[in-house]
Amino acid sequence: MAPTPVPVEVGKTDIDEEVVPDRPWIVLVWNDPINLMSYVTFVFQKVFGYSLEKATSLMLDVHEKGRAVVSSGAREKAEIDVFRLHEHGLWATMQQDD
Amino acid sequence: MARKRAFIPPIQRVRDGFAFNLGDDEKQLVTRLLTELGQLLMGESGDPRLIRIFPPAYHLADDAEAEEEYQRLMREDLVASRLSGINTVNAALGSPDAVDEEAMIAFVQAINGLRLVLGTMLDVVEDHDPDDIPDDDPQVGEYHLYNFLSWLLDWAVRALAEEPVTPRET
Repeated sequence: MAPTPVPVEVGKTDIDEEVVPDRPWIVLVWNDPINLMSYVTFVFQKVFGYSLEKATSLMLDVHEKGRAVVSSGAREKAEIDVFRLHEHGLWATMQQDD
Repeated sequence: MARKRAFIPPIQRVRDGFAFNLGDDEKQLVTRLLTELGQLLMGESGDPRLIRIFPPAYHLADDAEAEEEYQRLMREDLVASRLSGINTVNAALGSPDAVDEEAMIAFVQAINGLRLVLGTMLDVVEDHDPDDIPDDDPQVGEYHLYNFLSWLLDWAVRALAEEPVTPRET
């Protein structure tokens, strides 16, 4: 005789901790008076593998709007991106997306 | 500057890599500056000249704790990465052979590092005009150095761009 399945009570989730989904982190690059436009474009291509067009457009955003979001994702990935941009001397920071 | 019109660029892509078409005095100048940068990186961590070399990662006040941890864990890696790049570049400048792409990338990072420190010391502002420095400015020498490094970096980036940049593996 097959055993009768016994209903198992599913553990209640802690609402405070689990209801809010993880918001992605965004990586920002800020305009600065030292880094050359050609160099910034090169760094975006090399670090992220972006096309020349995309890298140039991001560089112009940084230059004209003061900052641009250059990548996003999980916190660990964002931190690696920030570190690689720091290795190249770019003024990069990260924050959780609104 | 008459140099900008010179037919042979200071850095160019050649068949087996990249060539530096620089005089010995210019190579020695760059090597000396990079050696000084290396000493600066190993010195006092709060040195204001290094502020642009070590920017904050987490800029929001709410993330102050994460920022402290980033600086504690990553700063050493950043110094190590910069020092290793400086060694690569100084070796490349001391060799008559063409240098590979990895060394040329280390070169642009290192030259840019010098510009960050010099630019911070000179408090360079947006739309800085390299030709607009009066000859009697007390820092005219540093400005010339900064302009020389900008010129070199621009040519290095141009040489690297002559072939498509390999995308990062994902």
